[in-house]
Amino acid sequence: MKSTGTGVDFELLVHEAVASVDDPEYPGVSIVDLGLLETLLIDDAGGVRIGLVPTFSGCPALAMIADDVRDAVAALEWVTAIEIEWLAAPAWSTDRVSEDARSVLSKEFTVAVQIGSSAKCPLCGEPTVEKSLFGPSRCRSVHRCEPCSETIEVLRG
Amino acid sequence: MAGTTIARSWTSLDAFEAFLNGGGIVEVDDAMPDEYRTAVFRFIEMHANSELMGGLTERDWIPKTPGLRHKMAVLAKTQDEIGHGHLLYMVAADMAVKTRTEMLEDLFAGKSRFHNVFHYQAKTWGDQVAIAFLVDAAALASQQAVFKNCSYGPYRRILKRIISEEGFHMRLGEERMLRIAEGTDTQRSMFQESINDWWWPALQLFGPDTKPGDVLLRWHIKSERNEVLRDRWVQKFAPMLQGYGFTIPDPGLHYDDEAGRWMAGPIDWEPLKATLANGGPDSARRIAEAAGNWNRNAWVRDALNAVSVSA
Repeated sequence: MKSTGTGVDFELLVHEAVASVDDPEYPGVSIVDLGLLETLLIDDAGGVRIGLVPTFSGCPALAMIADDVRDAVAALEWVTAIEIEWLAAPAWSTDRVSEDARSVLSKEFTVAVQIGSSAKCPLCGEPTVEKSLFGPSRCRSVHRCEPCSETIEVLRG
Repeated sequence: MAGTTIARSWTSLDAFEAFLNGGGIVEVDDAMPDEYRTAVFRFIEMHANSELMGGLTERDWIPKTPGLRHKMAVLAKTQDEIGHGHLLYMVAADMAVKTRTEMLEDLFAGKSRFHNVFHYQAKTWGDQVAIAFLVDAAALASQQAVFKNCSYGPYRRILKRIISEEGFHMRLGEERMLRIAEGTDTQRSMFQESINDWWWPALQLFGPDTKPGDVLLRWHIKSERNEVLRDRWVQKFAPMLQGYGFTIPDPGLHYDDEAGRWMAGPIDWEPLKATLANGGPDSARRIAEAAGNWNRNAWVRDALNAVSVSA
């Protein structure tokens, strides 16, 4: 841990830098709010180690997200080294998605986040029906809201 | 928004247009004029067809893509395009003009339209890079211009997601372009050939100049004229590709010092017309292949239908 006593909360600074990175497919939704940040270690020499969990291991955005995190953390001038690792465990689940991210996904993208095995329509709040397990990505399925005839995507684990 | 409002109706086309001009958003249950319903439906159907045909091309490249990381990206992009097609077919079917099956059968019978760029064959990895870089940028620009002022709510909401995902594809396309542009002479000459083949189809994706009285503009489906979008694309890609030392296959292309902009040469629209009639260089093979998929996979649909009937 980088020395305390300087009055600077180094961990908070790195956390903020990581949180400034948005999901490449959802501008305005931070990867921290999506629950991708798992571990954050800072050593005395200013070396930073960040452990991230992917929503699914075959996600094509992993390299891009890691690059963005690296750039954001490298902007802190006291950082001397950055190591970013995609962790095999724990597995990501929708429980890791923050209330803020749920709200933006719902309002801005009409994307619902799965709760248990169901989801609620971002437009009317009614439960939705799964139409296909496979949406535009492994982490999203296609649902339909019968009351308002809306086709929606549901973020799933 | 849908589900929270009662279906609306209008006494005349004028009243409906006044509603659109006031920024009104039409929802699926509204009693929209038939002309509007048909125009929006045809537009979404063509978009859905293009996502599906594009996804199938992308799929062909999964085994041939160099490097594991880009292979993963192509795999995911295939799912992405097919997923977009799926969402769009659902939204189009809700308009009750054709069912989803009817749309697919029309497509496979060669009776429907899909974007011109999917009527050509991607022969080399260079072609795939040109598609990811030049064609995807043109498609994204068109979609952004539709999203900006789209009066049909269900389409607008799906476009928002499609656009943010296509934005991610663009970043991958740029990365691939840089990799090949900074590659060996062989790689660079392969990419030059791809630029020669794909520059014009990509540019023609925007379509000919928008005609006066265009209903898609008037009804707030499109927000910008085709020629404006096309010109913006030329301003971006002409200097960028030339900056990397590539040539652009337009002998009329030049920089006008007075206007301070790139001027494209005259455009031959015959190739575009041919693709719109499904008579492009690779149309027949592409359609036959897509139809073959549909027929070969009939048993999957039958099995799923049997499960949902018995459940």
